Amino acid sequence: MKKIVMKFGGTSVGTGENIRHVADLVTQYAKDCKVAVVVSALAGVTNSLLEVACQAKKSDVKHIENFTKKLLQKHIEAISTAIISKQIQKEVSQITEKTISELEKVLTGICYVGELTAKSKDYVASFGERLSAPIVWGAIKDHKLETQWFTGKDAGIVTDSNFGEAEPLMNYTTHLIRERVDPLLEKGVVPIVTGFIAANQDGVVTTVGRGGSDYTATILGVALQVDEVWIWTDVDGIMTTDPKIVPSARMLPQLSYQEATEMAIFGAKAMHPRALGPVIKENIPVRIRSVFHPENEGTLITKEADAKFTEVVKAVALIKDVAMINVGGAGMVGAPGSYAKVFEVLGKSGINIMMISTAVSEANISMVIRRNLVGRAVSTLEIALLGKGLVSEVTAEDDVAVVAVMGANMKGTLGVASKIFSTVAKAGINIRMIAQGSSELNISFVVKEKDGPTVVRAIHEAFGLDKI
Amino acid sequence: MRIILVGYGVVGKGVTTIITRKYANNTSDYGFNPKIVAIADIDGAVINPRGLSPQKLEEIKQKGFPISKDPDFGQPNITALEVIRTVEAEVVVEVTPVNIKNGEPAISHITEAFKTGKHVVTTNKGPLALAMPALTELAEYNNVYLRFSGTVGGGTPMLEFAKRCLAGDKILAIRGILNGTTNYILTEMSQNRISFQEALATAQKLGYAEREPSMDIDGFDTACKVVILANWIMNKKVTLKDVDRTGIRDVTLQMLDEASKRGNTIKLIGAIDGDKPTVKPTEIAKINPLCVSGVLNAVTFSTEYAGEQTLIGRGAGGIETASAVLRDLLDIRHRLANRLLS
Repeated sequence: MKKIVMKFGGTSVGTGENIRHVADLVTQYAKDCKVAVVVSALAGVTNSLLEVACQAKKSDVKHIENFTKKLLQKHIEAISTAIISKQIQKEVSQITEKTISELEKVLTGICYVGELTAKSKDYVASFGERLSAPIVWGAIKDHKLETQWFTGKDAGIVTDSNFGEAEPLMNYTTHLIRERVDPLLEKGVVPIVTGFIAANQDGVVTTVGRGGSDYTATILGVALQVDEVWIWTDVDGIMTTDPKIVPSARMLPQLSYQEATEMAIFGAKAMHPRALGPVIKENIPVRIRSVFHPENEGTLITKEADAKFTEVVKAVALIKDVAMINVGGAGMVGAPGSYAKVFEVLGKSGINIMMISTAVSEANISMVIRRNLVGRAVSTLEIALLGKGLVSEVTAEDDVAVVAVMGANMKGTLGVASKIFSTVAKAGINIRMIAQGSSELNISFVVKEKDGPTVVRAIHEAFGLDKI
Repeated sequence: MRIILVGYGVVGKGVTTIITRKYANNTSDYGFNPKIVAIADIDGAVINPRGLSPQKLEEIKQKGFPISKDPDFGQPNITALEVIRTVEAEVVVEVTPVNIKNGEPAISHITEAFKTGKHVVTTNKGPLALAMPALTELAEYNNVYLRFSGTVGGGTPMLEFAKRCLAGDKILAIRGILNGTTNYILTEMSQNRISFQEALATAQKLGYAEREPSMDIDGFDTACKVVILANWIMNKKVTLKDVDRTGIRDVTLQMLDEASKRGNTIKLIGAIDGDKPTVKPTEIAKINPLCVSGVLNAVTFSTEYAGEQTLIGRGAGGIETASAVLRDLLDIRHRLANRLLS
């Protein structure tokens, strides 16, 4: 019997109806698989919790009462549609009321103390999943399946104390999960674990931060040594590009871990590389698929891309909200450490560099950063480096976008770059900056933002991505 | 370097002039590229995160008030505090009018800038005279710089001279003519043998004295400067109320004549010489280097090893004060660069 961890995201459990649908899916697969479930909070709940926690620092208790009342209403509504049995409804409602009353106390506490630490922020954020998991549990129980729900902490996910961005102690976690969750799975019980939240060794609630519930799913997958981790989401899988730009964009049936990591720039529609970390080591495949179209197989992420699927270029992405910075000066030529100074200044100012390009002449270096940071970047570079004989000019262009062309088989294939750039040239568009790492998985280049969609469409067509 | 300018009077306009005029050669001489990203005044602000262009600044200056009416970047309903809080910049240049009653709104502007991690250059004596020890502590606590060379001596770099050029020596006393208006009046009285009232009227006619001249002639302005010198150079935690102050209203022609017979004259001298800072009309020898005439300022630093050093120069005007602002900006830039590359 196959062992599978299934993670359901915020939209998948967004309403009572959707939760009912999730329970149907789990019931269906539980017939011939051992299924462990990871759930996110109801769509929007985690954000609203963090928002109210931030406001609680300075707001009145009345505001908190209003918030918890609405939150209770939202979950009670979900319970009434997701669960049919009155008995189970009552049971879940009681858990929900108790949990929300605890949340109200926590928020009131924050309000009185007027302080929100990373620790208490994690505690507040944990309530989203603590509220959604029992409803999913009730809905599955409603299908006459044996099931049990856990918080990440009770399931045995132990992390360090880096609140907001905690890392699991993987071996200890595996030890505990095998003791607590695995026996249930073997008995045919469906364990449900809250995503996103865990605890440190002292039992204080932590959250895993970037990667969120996907990360929990892969941690659990590794600990339980499952055959596959399924990420149920609201899209069919990872696409060749954004369908809003290219309506004929296709779903990619298979990707390698490396490719999937490159695809992280697709943002919310892909997996965060951090969440892929645990499964890469253990070589466990991950499948991204849609709750709304379960008949589709989705995108399978594995160690090696399937031999049948040999397309050189697999995806093209448009990254907006970026800006390009050019640092130039004849003094930089042949001066060891000059680039290091540029990076040091940006690093000290908390600015992340997304892309770098420099000519062998060494007279200038171009970088791409997030657009909202461009003012700070230019100003700090000027303050630190101008007028010292090294850098004579710092300029910025903030009407640009990055086009990224990706695919593992680009490596060693001749003529890919030439095909990309002649396609762009045929479209009559000028390229401002180019970068390709020697891993050859990705060629990125900068064009004017207004030309971005045209370029993406042209490349998508030139490489036949609409025929995958 | 991104700058928020708070206050758009004579000094504020001078700052924009000096920054636009020196724009090009600043970059090549000092590697300094200042950008004014916002100007805030009592009636709103103009904001452009990319920096207001020299032409734009010129336009704003010519149109005059209210600056927030600017069709491109004007924001009428925003307060200076909100601008300081929300607009991204490295430095706030605070040049609002002096208020020696409670130092507001400048004190709030400066503390808000500190809280949001912005350095401050001010030419405003009010906040410093009333709360200098508090403000320097807050700046240090927030790891930002507070600079104010425009408050004392204007175009004459008195503060830097004492702090930098006399570093290592012990400054025992500071005495000086720190106010151009009163010095002009006293000079007129003795040279043209006219009364205090007549001399004041001339000064007002020439624009050297305000219509409401108390700030100058009652010695408040000099007292503010004495406080700043005492704090910054001699590390004395004094404020305006600690200064023993007498103005020049009661200086008569007869007193000047009698002093003259002894080869002396009467000047309004601010001094820190012992514990109590003082401001009072004082008889000094005409051959004393401190004895300058007209609107000139002069200050003598008595040091333990290097003897007496006297600095003479022009007092404050819009453009002289603005040049002091530029000096402060360059100083901050230099320190920030060292911090970024250390």
